[in-house]
Amino acid sequence: MKLKLIHLLTLAAIGAITLTAQPLHAAKIRVVATLTDLADLTRQVGGDHVDVFSLATGIEDTHGVPMKPSFVPRMNRADLVVLAGFDCEHAFLPALLEASKNPRIQIGKPGYVDCSQGIVPMEVPKSTDHSEGDVHPYGNPHYMLDPVLAKTAAQNIYNALVATAPEYEADFTRNRDAYLARLDAKIAEWQQLAAPLKGVKFVSYHEHWCYFAARFGMDYVGTIELKPGIDPTPRHVEDLINEIKADHIPIVVREPQFPEKVPALIAQQSGATLVKLPIMPGGVPGTDTYIAEMDYIVHSLVDAVKK
Amino acid sequence: MKIIGLSSALCLSAMIAQAQETNEVEQLKQQLRQMQDNFEKIENEQHRQIESLTKKLDELTNQRQVMAASAPPATVTTNQFNELSEKVEGISDAQKKTLMSEFNPSIGLVGETVFGYRSKGSDETGGDRPGGFDVWQRSIELNVAASVDPFAKGYAVINGSADSATGEATLGVEEAALQTTSLPGNLELKVGRFFGEFGRLAYIHDHELPFVNRPLALDEYIGGESQSDGAQLNWLVPIPHYVSVTTGVGDHFGADSPNPDNPGTYRPADGLSFWGRLSSYWDLTPDWQLEAGISGLWNPREEDRGGVLVQPDSSTLTEKERRLAGVDFKFSYVPLRDNQFRSFAWGTEILCSDNRYLVDPDGNLNPANPAPGLDGDEFTGSVGSLGLYSYVNYKWSRQWSAGFLFDWLQNAQNHSDETSAYSPFITFALSHWNQLRLEYTHTNHNAMSGLKSDDAIYLQWAWIIGAHSHGWQQR
Repeated sequence: MKLKLIHLLTLAAIGAITLTAQPLHAAKIRVVATLTDLADLTRQVGGDHVDVFSLATGIEDTHGVPMKPSFVPRMNRADLVVLAGFDCEHAFLPALLEASKNPRIQIGKPGYVDCSQGIVPMEVPKSTDHSEGDVHPYGNPHYMLDPVLAKTAAQNIYNALVATAPEYEADFTRNRDAYLARLDAKIAEWQQLAAPLKGVKFVSYHEHWCYFAARFGMDYVGTIELKPGIDPTPRHVEDLINEIKADHIPIVVREPQFPEKVPALIAQQSGATLVKLPIMPGGVPGTDTYIAEMDYIVHSLVDAVKK
Repeated sequence: MKIIGLSSALCLSAMIAQAQETNEVEQLKQQLRQMQDNFEKIENEQHRQIESLTKKLDELTNQRQVMAASAPPATVTTNQFNELSEKVEGISDAQKKTLMSEFNPSIGLVGETVFGYRSKGSDETGGDRPGGFDVWQRSIELNVAASVDPFAKGYAVINGSADSATGEATLGVEEAALQTTSLPGNLELKVGRFFGEFGRLAYIHDHELPFVNRPLALDEYIGGESQSDGAQLNWLVPIPHYVSVTTGVGDHFGADSPNPDNPGTYRPADGLSFWGRLSSYWDLTPDWQLEAGISGLWNPREEDRGGVLVQPDSSTLTEKERRLAGVDFKFSYVPLRDNQFRSFAWGTEILCSDNRYLVDPDGNLNPANPAPGLDGDEFTGSVGSLGLYSYVNYKWSRQWSAGFLFDWLQNAQNHSDETSAYSPFITFALSHWNQLRLEYTHTNHNAMSGLKSDDAIYLQWAWIIGAHSHGWQQR
């Protein structure tokens, strides 16, 4: 009886190990991207060789993607996790990584693809203190709103894919070059289109837009949030309305994941135009890809300025 | 005559043709001359332009050389360069310094103060807090965590709180454990002192609960927090659906410092204990979620507690074995778009206790007897009891949320002795790290408990400084 039990336990252990054993990567490279823009870039570069799952659908706050247990099995089997970095995903990714029990994608491992590598951050705080709200110690993480910096992210993804599956290098290279050529053409188009945005002042709900403003020559004046992650006080709202009036700031940007009430009030009382802008693909209808998202942003702002 | 005429005509024709050829040659010669003239003119013009451009280029080159030769700009550039070099070297030197704190773990501190008012004193409620107005520094909790090596991380939670009886500060190690990070086969091992995975809220620290006080059923059946000294193994089942299996063994199960605000009997399971949990999760829609689990605890050597429970009729119960099973679920609305501003949760946990006792009808085992001991009339019996808590919590802005907690339980030694309580609460979060919660609790004891029903109001103020991670268990 005892011998039978030992045999059964041994068989169960072998079965468990067999079930849990994972190949380095199956027919396709399994990629989990934290945000939809990174998922799109990975699909563009990886082509048919990647199976990409995005934790965000596009309508979430980049810092507030829900930690769903249904993400865990996908992360457990992933060959790569592609993230924005600069602590953008601090609210959900560390816990998901721990729960995934996947040593391939832990921080520092080849499967941990931090797309911020090579990007010079803006708005690096002088001190990491919560008196400044939910600051990002490494700088503003919303660099994907600058299409030129998105090229660096694409290159980081390309490097990771080549390192994971060198046998597909030629395909990845062809895909990357084709996509970057398309992106370059769009960047030239956006820069031409965005000529009226030069010097235009604007405010937004959260500090998403410093990289975009620098690229297209806009003047990013401030935020509706009192500090990152801290709701505005009535006094802050009043001060902001007065500032918008005094400086003739024409645009108030609302990101769709924030409530409309306060931005609409500010726009109404100051006479500025309220513009709803996505912060990643899928944030508003018709922006399923990164290029479509940037198209939407540039056109929306130009339309608002021309009003 | 005809011949002469024809000859004359031919000669005339030939003369006319010769004259026409002479004209064409002249025309061609003239065209050639004109082209040569034009070419010379263009050539001269091009030469003039080349000379002019060369002259301009020379002038500009000379100007640049003159500018380059002028001292001030070159000096400024050099100064700037030197200044920049100094700065870079300074930063570089700073980086080369050896800092004693380089490998320090991340550190966070949680503070929690509870202001309370209870309508009855502790002698009437069974709680350890006095009646009337009360201020209680429930905890100052120091959290430290860091990687131990490439294979494990370590963490500790040191808790300082006011002793419920004397009010003096006491310090205790709530958790101090090593957790593997790279075991094969989706396994994770935790060793040391930690909160064992049983049920839904037993392994959550007080300040992370969605209400002020720990549910009564958890106090009654496992003594509050599910602390244990031992080992726990977790397995993520390698299938596309989320299924987590946990099993553990420890030398006890339950908190070392039970929450004295609650009227439960705070009965941690002493002695060798085994526990396990199976949990799963379903995305009902992108915004609605359901998470459910079943848990079990077996404490086969409860006599290690050494406690003989004297009953009102003078008989005694000596606890021999404890078995506890639980089922729990959390149904929640977490909208993808604005979950920082809106959410809803309904959580429920039902516990079923089965305690085995040695019953001594004549109470001869009562330690107060001059010579306690077995006298042959003892027999083994068991007491089954139930307990549950259920709560809802609705968040309507980043700062405000409110909810309702319902408690009901039977005494683990006497299931006829029932207690119930209800607690509406409202939470105001100034920020993610600073929140206030107001809660009213009405507790009903039945007559056989000898305790009286009471009303209480609590104001909890909790804050966090330093590192604070969003752990998987606190999701």
